[in-house]
Amino acid sequence: MSWRSITIASPYTETLFEVPENRVGHDKKAELRRTVTPWGSFSWGYSDVGADIFVGLGLVLGAAAGASNVAFLFAGIVYVCIGLAYTELAATYPVAGGGQYFVLRGLGDIFGFIAGWAVLLDFTIDISLFTWTCVDYMSSLAPALSSVNHPFNHFALAALFIVGLCALNVIGVRESTAFNGFVSGLDILSETAILTLGFLFAFDPHLLVHTMQVSWPTSDMFMKGISLAIVSFVGLESISQAAQETQRPASVIPRTSVALILTILIFALAYSNLALGMHTWHAIPPDAHGHPQMLWQWLGNDQNNGRAVALLAAQVPYFGALAALYVPILGSILLLISANSGVFGSSRIAYAMSKGTLLPSTFARVHPKFRTPVVSLVAFSGIALLELIFAAIPSLDHGVAAIYAHLFNGESGLDFLADLYAFGAATSYSFVFIALIALRLYDPLSPRKFKMPFNIPVTVRGERAEFPIVAVIGFIGIFAILLFTLKTHIIGRIAGPAWLILGIIIYFIYRARHDLPLFKSKPRDWRKEQVEILRNAGELELMDEYIANIKASNARQAGGSVT
Amino acid sequence: MIILRIVLASLLVVIGCSIIVRMLGLGIHPDIFPGVLLGGAMVALGIHRIALIRRVYAQRKMAQ
Repeated sequence: MSWRSITIASPYTETLFEVPENRVGHDKKAELRRTVTPWGSFSWGYSDVGADIFVGLGLVLGAAAGASNVAFLFAGIVYVCIGLAYTELAATYPVAGGGQYFVLRGLGDIFGFIAGWAVLLDFTIDISLFTWTCVDYMSSLAPALSSVNHPFNHFALAALFIVGLCALNVIGVRESTAFNGFVSGLDILSETAILTLGFLFAFDPHLLVHTMQVSWPTSDMFMKGISLAIVSFVGLESISQAAQETQRPASVIPRTSVALILTILIFALAYSNLALGMHTWHAIPPDAHGHPQMLWQWLGNDQNNGRAVALLAAQVPYFGALAALYVPILGSILLLISANSGVFGSSRIAYAMSKGTLLPSTFARVHPKFRTPVVSLVAFSGIALLELIFAAIPSLDHGVAAIYAHLFNGESGLDFLADLYAFGAATSYSFVFIALIALRLYDPLSPRKFKMPFNIPVTVRGERAEFPIVAVIGFIGIFAILLFTLKTHIIGRIAGPAWLILGIIIYFIYRARHDLPLFKSKPRDWRKEQVEILRNAGELELMDEYIANIKASNARQAGGSVT
Repeated sequence: MIILRIVLASLLVVIGCSIIVRMLGLGIHPDIFPGVLLGGAMVALGIHRIALIRRVYAQRKMAQ
């Protein structure tokens, strides 16, 4: 595995982190290099979002049963809207920072903070959830790591991974884009082979329809399934992160994003349909009571839901024997890459929020030797470790398990992590849709090389703008998922809002101490910043177009003629 | 590499069409909807990828 050190530029167009001198010669403030190619941009996103199905499949099958494919379809439609929104925003404002930056720009400081704080929750959960499932997949080959039979081993290795990833990020190393590309390519090839053989030789449409009819869940379980299905589509922040380092992002991002969105959607839909309508290559073992069970029941139970893709792959005719050996390894690597993006991403967002006067300046403190944001890295990896302990402790101690069963209706550790993941994602995505609508109306002069389809022309403050219908549909969908999460997830409905309230308290204390407006925003020159963003991105034609738009707008406002 | 990508994209179109045909073979009712949509998405992605490959290939040819 090759590693590289990288620098990260701020959403506010200033350099954030510096690379150790011995790595970049004598450049004390190294700017982020735009070296990511279209495939690099695709694989960057894929290595993050592509890992989600390894986590989501078993959880959704366990909740939505025979309606799992419909749950994935509902969440998938919302995800397509989210993907299109991120593509438009990342191509228009190609800076790192993602949802937090878009919301800050569109809705102001306080909402930018709330969205960023929700994203931070997601990143910390990403770390704990993905290390947890990484060990689950490893347990397919090493049974001593099973979360059911050997919970301490499982917990200890997951905790070790979190500490190790944090240490690597403090030193300032990260997996290379080439490595991401290799793993992504291998995974796409592997998943295409599994699905092709599965659909050609084992899929039975009659069985699919029969399973849907006899195993349709209750309304509550269906809603829970939908809210868990969104877990399979979280990680689109990576699109905007990739935008920061991609050559000509306004042109490349839309092209690669559409392929990424469709690929992830198809894999999720295909796995869920296959799990409901596939004749297995080997006999499925009976359940704990000795009753025969269907494939989806076996994949969705507490023992197997953390490694469902590997078990499904092993049931594919002909290819299954080989898949049983390498899919757990491939899944583990993808999940670890995704967990690493959580460690890296949380520190980056916290640093950016700190620089943007949304969080205390201590989160912007960098290590004197490695020049990485050590406080943010340790703080948010520490939170991830706490979340892991909270999720694992019922399996480690029977007394605590009894308390959990009483208080949380027996939700498992994996459920707890998935609950919070769904809550954080639904909250931040809801704000992103509103921010997109606000930016369309109040920043119509920024050139948009990619726009979400189906728009209504409107005039706002004398400027022509377009109202995005798809953003409204997406908002309704993601808000419904947020409500489903609050209604059906016992821990999520307490811990999620509690996290937001904690953040808002920190925000108010910090802003009050520094005489910053509590509810209003700090004044910023967005036009000047946009010119800088486009210049740094190498999008000089768009920069010229933007400047021309501003001049034309100023002339219109002054009542003069424009030539 | 480009041949592998073309094969993968073509495979998606073929599998997508096969799923649509097999699902429609069960008659028209709501339960076939997720399967038909999956097939449709596979065909759409396959065609999107083939179009991308063609565009990139044409650009390379022009550059040569």
